[in-house]
This record gives sequence, C-alpha cells and structure tokens, in this order.
Amino acid sequence: MVYDEKLFKKLEEKAKILRRDAVEMIRAGESGWMGGSFSQADIIAALMFHHMKHDPKNPQWEERDRLIVSKAHCCETVYAALAEAGYFSKKEYQSYGQFGALLQAHTERNAPGFEYSGGSLGEGLSFALGEALAARIGASKDKSGRSMPRFRVFCIVGDGESNEGQVWEAVMAAAHYKVDNLVAIVDHNKFQSSGAVEERINIMPLAEKWQAFGWDTMEIDGHDFNQILSALEKVDKVKGKPHAIIAHTTKCKGVPSFEHKNIHFCKLSDEMYAEAIKALK
Amino acid sequence: MKRNYVMEPPGEMKAMYQAYNEAMVELVKKNENIVLLYGDFPRGAAGEFLQKEQPDRIYDVGIAEANLITTAAGMAGAGKIPFTHCHSIFAVGRAYNQIRQNVAFDKFNVKIVLCNSGMLWTFMGGSHQIIEEIAALRAIPNLVLVSPADPVETKKITRAVTEYVGPVAIRLANPPVPTIFKEEYPFQLGKAVTVVDGKDATIISTGMMLADSLAATEALAKEGINVRLLNMHTIKPIDEEAVIKAARETGAMVTVEDSSIIGGLGGAVAEIVVENQPVPLKRIGIKDKFGQSGTIEELKVAYELTAKDIAKAVKEAIKRKK
Repeated sequence: MVYDEKLFKKLEEKAKILRRDAVEMIRAGESGWMGGSFSQADIIAALMFHHMKHDPKNPQWEERDRLIVSKAHCCETVYAALAEAGYFSKKEYQSYGQFGALLQAHTERNAPGFEYSGGSLGEGLSFALGEALAARIGASKDKSGRSMPRFRVFCIVGDGESNEGQVWEAVMAAAHYKVDNLVAIVDHNKFQSSGAVEERINIMPLAEKWQAFGWDTMEIDGHDFNQILSALEKVDKVKGKPHAIIAHTTKCKGVPSFEHKNIHFCKLSDEMYAEAIKALK
Repeated sequence: MKRNYVMEPPGEMKAMYQAYNEAMVELVKKNENIVLLYGDFPRGAAGEFLQKEQPDRIYDVGIAEANLITTAAGMAGAGKIPFTHCHSIFAVGRAYNQIRQNVAFDKFNVKIVLCNSGMLWTFMGGSHQIIEEIAALRAIPNLVLVSPADPVETKKITRAVTEYVGPVAIRLANPPVPTIFKEEYPFQLGKAVTVVDGKDATIISTGMMLADSLAATEALAKEGINVRLLNMHTIKPIDEEAVIKAARETGAMVTVEDSSIIGGLGGAVAEIVVENQPVPLKRIGIKDKFGQSGTIEELKVAYELTAKDIAKAVKEAIKRKK
C-alpha cells in the first residue's frame, strides 16, 4: 500500500499532540500511566484520525466503529485523542483523576466518545467481542451470503494484560464465531507494572498463540505509520477470521531518555516534565 | 386464614428454568433485541427456538463464565438485551468482577440468569450449591436482584425484567417447585406481595422457600397464631416500606431463604428493621456452612429450612416481643 507522505506527517503530528496532552494531564492529575499510554499513541492516532469511522458530533451514532482500550489505565492518550477529535474540551485535562472529574483515572463510559469502562484487566476483548457480535445480528448480507457487520471493533490489548485468562477465553470464542469485524491490537511494549513481561510470566511466543487459536495474525512495528495503516487495511480484506495485530512498541515512546525505563505509573517531577515537553515539541 | 392470589390446591410442579423458557419463547418473538448467551448450559425451549429461527441471536461461549458476562455487556453496549445462562455458582463465583465492572458499573441492560441458584441443588453437593450469591450481589450498586417463588412468578419476572432497562440478576432454583400463584396474581418489580395477612408476626420469604413458609403459616394458624407472609421477590431494591410496616404492625419477624443468612435476605431485612423499627427477628437460612449432597428433604432438615423450623422461629420471635 502506498500512502501520501502528507498523511504520515499529519498522523505523526497528531501522535505528538496526544503525547504532549497526556503529559499535561499527568502533570495536572499528579499521576498517570505514561509508559503504556505513550507506547499505544501512534496506533490510537492512526485509528482515530484516519482509519475508524466515527463522528465527534454524534458520539452515539449506531454505525460508528468502536475503540475499546482494554488496558484502560493507559487512558491519557485516549482522552487526548477524543478531545483532539472534538468529543470534549481540552479544559477537562486540568481535572484529570480528581474528584468530580469527567476524566477518571481509568477510562469510563461516561465521557463522550468512550465505549468501555475498564480498569480490571483482561476484560476488554470480551466486551469488544460482544460489540462485534451485535454488529452482525440482523446485518444485511453480501452476494456470497456473508454477513456485512454494521461496524468494526478495534480493541487494544496489553501484553502484560495477556496474563489474564479471560483474554484467551475471548480469543477462543471470537475465532469460534469467525468474528471478522473484530481487530485486536496488542500493544507489545514488553513491560508490565513490576517488570519485563518475559520475566514475570512468559507469554511468548505471542503471535503464534493468536494464530494457533485461529486468528488472522500479523506482527508490525507499532510506531511505523506505514506498517500500522497497511495492517489495518489488510485485515479488512481477510474474511472469516478475527484479526490480531501484534504491534511491537516501546514503553514511553516519544521521550527518548524515558524509553526502555519501564516508566509505568508515575508522577512527573519538574525536571521530567520539562524534558518530556522538550522532546515532544 | 385468607390467602391472596394463591391456588387451592397448589398447581403443577415445574422447574423454574422451564417456566422461564416458556415465557422467553414468547419474548424472543416479540422483542428482536433479545439475545441469548450460554456458558455450556442447556438451551431450553427459547434457545432451541432461536437456534432454529434466528441463529445470529444465540451464542454459547463454552465453559468460560467471565467471557460470557463481559461479552453480554458488550452486546448491551451495542443496544441488545442479552440474557446470560450458566450455573449461579460460576456466574457469581467466577465472574463476580465481570458482573460488577462490566455490567453493573455502566448499568448495562444485561440480564444474568442465575441457574441452579441457592442451596437446594440437591445431588450436586457443596461445590455447586451457592450460599453467598445474595450477599455478594446485594452489595453491587445498580444491580437489581430478583428471586421468583414459583413457575407463575418466574414467568412474570421474566417479562418484567425484559421491560426494565438496566442490569438484573434472576435467581432460578433447580428443583421443580409447586405452582403457588394464580395466573392473575399481580406482579410489580420491587413491591413485596402480602400472601397472607396477619397481626402476630411476619414471615418474609424469598424464592422457592415460599411453599414452606406458606405451610408454616398454616400450621401456626391452627394454633391460633396469625402470621403475615410477605413474598419478597425483589431482594434489591428491597421493599423497605413493606418491611417497616410489617415490623410496626406485627412486632416480630422471621426471614426465610435458601441462602446464607449472612448478608442474605435475613441480613437485608435486619438492616432495615434495626434502623427503622427494631423488633425481634429470627433468620431461617444457611448458617455459615457449606452445602452437601442429599435429597431436598434431607437438606432442608439438616440445614433447618423446614416449615417446622420456620414455625418454631416464629414462636421464638413472638416470645421475645415486649
């Protein structure tokens, strides 16, 4: 697939805005999940500002594509994407994670544009599966008799999160029902809260697992827009199977001195804040 | 003794899941948003009907209760009315967080059918007899918890929860139960039913224990003790008004359930009575013990759930009246 350079430029700029806005939120809320929020930022940007059909003026549009962020603690870049798209004002950032705030410490469905209240890991893919199945019920059929789902569902799953058994229950069921309007994107940043994924409980080989369960599976660099967009386009063409995109990412991507440090739940000191803002200019 | 809405003599014995299915067959025809989800659970008449007529409205996710509940939440997120079916012990025991976080938190319109609910799943033994479901589910905000007493009420509840928009858990006991209510019995979600009126004490019963509670009131009436019997089909939100009124007017109370009295119906009623109208109260139910295999009669005797136990508790409560 050949994309216009301008599109890459636009998405790179959007991803930078998401990370910068996330820094402002973490600063305002005095805490946040910078590492995982940053590792998924490019994927979120590609989905929200190019690939997904959605309408900020009509958040409840029945045929909108859904984005379910199963690792819901990584909410800051999602909040930023929704605000940047126009679902709510960026003024909300200032009360992030505070009493009475629209933007709670984990994504909640009360915020416009939000589909899913997460916080308990391993559950989002099941929720996405439910949405995807619902999109097929009573849907019209194409010439070959295949159901044409009313919308697609994209679910960001964490690699650490994949320790949870329920992820694999959903993986099994989605393959069984051939839910081809469901796309799981694994933000494979190689770290979980307390250390390296492989050291905590080894989930490797990861792509092979999804494949063995019957998913259309591919591996990409989750920070390369060409690869992200190509993968998303490719899955639309594969019918009869759910799709897994294993996106190799870097925790805290975007602030070079923070990368590979496993910054998970963090507070931003004045120095860290200044460094992050400088890197994201 | 005047009994309201009660058949004389009791009607046919029927399992609640069968009665539920009889109502559901009609409902799935009328309401195309209803979707039936199963966790490797027998489908019953409604499931078999949909499988034949509209297979895209029925899904079995296998022995995976967590996925069952959250998938239902996702479907509700897209406007469907999913009913989930699996054993209560595994819905509540293995998917508690999914009920709390994925269903109740966002008030999703999911109906969780708690099959083989309560203590009296006779043969299966302690691993399968759930004693703590009322206590566990009662503490979850937004969740409505209902517990039908007989086949007629099961059907009425099935229709009522379909109309109601929001999360509901429905307790369906395993053993066949007698038909107690006449068809014309008026049912309203959240409103306790005065099955028998009386002044000396009140029995508040939920679920399949109504038959034994009714037998207790009859036995007591023969001894000149006139007991009010409330059928508390909606455990949450509980009909506080009816409980307070009964405490005030009768001055003594006994709660009856096939579930743990710790946090169960007994706990719920005790909370209301103590805060509003303190009266002597005895709780019939499972007293901090696990279950075991046995016939229904053996289990009722062993766990003190018989009409005799209920009547004895009523007398003790009356004795403690000031």
